[in-house]
Amino acid sequence: MPSPLPLLVAVPILLIGAALSLALRANRSSAGISIASQAVATALVLANVVPVLRGGKPVEIVWAWPAPIERIPFRVDALGAFFLSWSLPMTLLGTVYATGYLKPYFDRGRHGGPHYALLNMVSVSFVLIYSVQNALVFLLGWEIAAVAAWLLVIWDYRNQKIRFAGFNYLVSTHVGLFVLVAAFMLLHSKTDAMDFRSFGEFLSKPTPARGAIFMLLGVSFALKSAFFPFHTWLPRAHSAAPAHVSALMSGVIHKAGLFAFLRFTLLAGRPDEWMGWTVLTFGALSAFFGVLYTSTQRDLKRLLGYSSTENVGIAAMGFGVGYLGWSWDIPSLAVAGFAGGMLHLLNHAFFKCLLFYAAGSVYRATHTVDVERLGGLAKRLPRTAALFLVAALAISALPPFNGFVSELIIYSGLLSGRAPSGRSNIALITAAVMLAFVGAVSVLSMTRAFGLTFLGNAREPGLHVNEEEPVSMLGPMWLHAFGVVVIGLAPGAGVAMISAALDLFPFASSSSPVLDAFVPVVWASRALALALLVACGVGLRRGIKARRSVTWGCGYTAISPRMQYTGSAFAEHFARIFESFLPVLRRVRAPEGVFPQRAGHVGTHHADPVERRMFEVLGQGEKFVAQASGRISEQPRFAFAAGLIAIAVIGLIAYGASDR
Amino acid sequence: MMPVRLANLAALLVMPLVLTGVINRVKSLWSGRKGPPLFQLAFDVVRLLRKSSVYSSTTTPVFRIAPYVLLLTAAGSACVAPLLGSTPFVSFPFDFVWLAYVWGLGRMAIMLAALDTGSSFGGMGAAREATFSTLLEPALFFIVGALSLLTGKHTLHEALNPHLDGGPAFVVWVAALVALTIVLQVETARMPVDDPATHLELTMVHEVMVLDHSGPDLAAIQVASAIKFFVGASIIATLLNPWAGSETLAAASLNVAICVFVAILIGTVESLIARLKLRAVPQYIVVAIASGVVALLAAAWRAGGAP
Repeated sequence: MPSPLPLLVAVPILLIGAALSLALRANRSSAGISIASQAVATALVLANVVPVLRGGKPVEIVWAWPAPIERIPFRVDALGAFFLSWSLPMTLLGTVYATGYLKPYFDRGRHGGPHYALLNMVSVSFVLIYSVQNALVFLLGWEIAAVAAWLLVIWDYRNQKIRFAGFNYLVSTHVGLFVLVAAFMLLHSKTDAMDFRSFGEFLSKPTPARGAIFMLLGVSFALKSAFFPFHTWLPRAHSAAPAHVSALMSGVIHKAGLFAFLRFTLLAGRPDEWMGWTVLTFGALSAFFGVLYTSTQRDLKRLLGYSSTENVGIAAMGFGVGYLGWSWDIPSLAVAGFAGGMLHLLNHAFFKCLLFYAAGSVYRATHTVDVERLGGLAKRLPRTAALFLVAALAISALPPFNGFVSELIIYSGLLSGRAPSGRSNIALITAAVMLAFVGAVSVLSMTRAFGLTFLGNAREPGLHVNEEEPVSMLGPMWLHAFGVVVIGLAPGAGVAMISAALDLFPFASSSSPVLDAFVPVVWASRALALALLVACGVGLRRGIKARRSVTWGCGYTAISPRMQYTGSAFAEHFARIFESFLPVLRRVRAPEGVFPQRAGHVGTHHADPVERRMFEVLGQGEKFVAQASGRISEQPRFAFAAGLIAIAVIGLIAYGASDR
Repeated sequence: MMPVRLANLAALLVMPLVLTGVINRVKSLWSGRKGPPLFQLAFDVVRLLRKSSVYSSTTTPVFRIAPYVLLLTAAGSACVAPLLGSTPFVSFPFDFVWLAYVWGLGRMAIMLAALDTGSSFGGMGAAREATFSTLLEPALFFIVGALSLLTGKHTLHEALNPHLDGGPAFVVWVAALVALTIVLQVETARMPVDDPATHLELTMVHEVMVLDHSGPDLAAIQVASAIKFFVGASIIATLLNPWAGSETLAAASLNVAICVFVAILIGTVESLIARLKLRAVPQYIVVAIASGVVALLAAAWRAGGAP
């Protein structure tokens, strides 16, 4: 059996790194310690993980521990190895990016030690979550990740809005934690154990509790990964956090929710058909609403936040297909679903982090990410622009980049036509249509985001642009872009990372032939990439000695940058078609009279409909409770009814508990 | 295998020019003019290639690269389309997804080029194109989904060759034709969705995005549009072609003839019908989505509980 030593040594190294970077006064040394400790830990973890990914035996150790935990089984199987293999390196890259991104704050005397320590703690939480097989320790890792992410979000804590966004995140993530604890308590009450193996033994049997536990776990993991309609905390947190924190949260930390989902899928064994439909519907809804909301955002980072909801939805659509294929015993469908979903997670981590990093360098240069004020940055920040464009093409799932590969695999499941009944075939193809719609809207949003930010002229004439981004920011961006291109042109690299994890599923003996069907597409993508390179060469060459003039203005010559198409105008036509899902708050002050004395004003704002509705319902509920409780004291009849209800609830709980 | 590929290549080189010429000739005949020569597009391209391009000083390399990306993606989609009703240049499972997404890449390139000019016209055209395409993709995927469910095949050219046995299959076939015609009209910027000959920027969709392109860049865009039209027409032709799938000269000629017929039809529609109001265009595209839904239901009915 492979030695688990490197993995176990990595944790104390990360903790020592965190403590040292807290203790050291100079920001430079804090950063150095944090990066060095993470690099060592990453190398150690990779030493353990890579053999597992190549089909080796899982790394296992059981630690004795005082009550109430008694024993902590660590076990890195191929699934955990897959997540560890990119989570830790990407966190390391995020830390490197932080040194450049936070430099202006450091120059003003801010101490960065706690921030670096928290980034180390995020890595610790990954090692725990992805390797531990005990529910209590798992919850500990889960909580470390949540609290560390919260503290990282409120870096700029002096700003009230940012504190609110952080608090909003903290509450939401703990609602998810309560649901998870409930699920674990239910499992504990049934199995009298806290380790995942006993959980799995119970879950693989068909009991009434299985469905309830599936739903509880699903809701909790959906909250963690920001699925619709549990996404309301996400756009706020992502627009408030520093760019690298948004990137890590969206790309890496919240993938823990989907990891846990896959972990329990493996534990529970062959799923019921309704679970597959639930996951598929959930995923499709998330993708649909997530992408709709991206179309109207003004804040670039908010837009990217919504796009996370979209992309985890796409991955979940893949998992839904996998569930269905598994429950119908159609291995090719199951492999296509799980492989596409997992590959999409990895791809999303690559391009979403890149997009957030690029947005961060826009913020660092201009101090705003409001697309209505930006414009023309491609001339000032050409490298950031090129990198953002690569990621934007990839996230729109366009060939020859990596997003296309994973979506194509998911399509191959949805459009296979192999479902056992006509009705399920209709449902699967309709899901494929949803995915196509999501892709097209994502093209719209990304065109809008890139076009408004980087092309044309600055919409705000006085927009000040600082110097080009430092190497510490560009380096991580280049590496992420490299990943985007490599998986796009050589999906074999990505498939190699997930194939061991796929083999954990009992149906997976046929995984490689299913994926071999995509070899011709890969060659087509490569040919396209080569041709695109030539096109870029031609385009660039042609510009060298070309004649310059002004943009054609239909004969009008006094064009100003304010006359460019705005972001809200770009999305207006689309938003009007989907008005029922994209409610718009419009403030209009029309000019009055024949000779208006005051200037008119029109303002539009697209608020998150789910969040608005949630606050409305909460407000109504609060009013209702206040009224009812007021009446209880006045009227004895109400007090009597309330007492009866309370007794009934307690009785039911007691009855349920005695069932054991 | 090889002769078919060569024939496909030859068709790709000639047919886009012919079809564009046919449409223009039909339009001029309807309006009582003699019309330009059939190969006018070739003359235009040669003329444009001899000129040099002028670039707005607002633009970045994105603007200069985009026309060639558009041309490439049009050619990339032609590679998987059954141009002569039989085996295309290359074919692989789910190549229709490739076709749709390659078109998406070209669309994104030209929209970005439009935004790059910094003119409000460019933004307007890009926004319209993006909005219409979000409705168009669902229609396209409903149709290919229904056809591949009906035929049990996952490549474009095989899915376009259904065995018409009985009512449901026939319903799928008709609905697919309706939807694909609308897809063709929208994708290639034809009436009643877009007026390629308009001179009012405010009403344009596709043309307004390429206002600033000139010289060889403009030639690339025009050729790309012509190729895209041929690809779309050949997809419809393959569906109509009773001999589709056979690699004979007769089948190929019939396919070409149907393509010309489609071009005549499009030209006629363009001459007789006014452009829709922009607000009504989404409703028109929804007709395509509705036909797609009908096709899917009929295909599922036909497939029934088959394994």
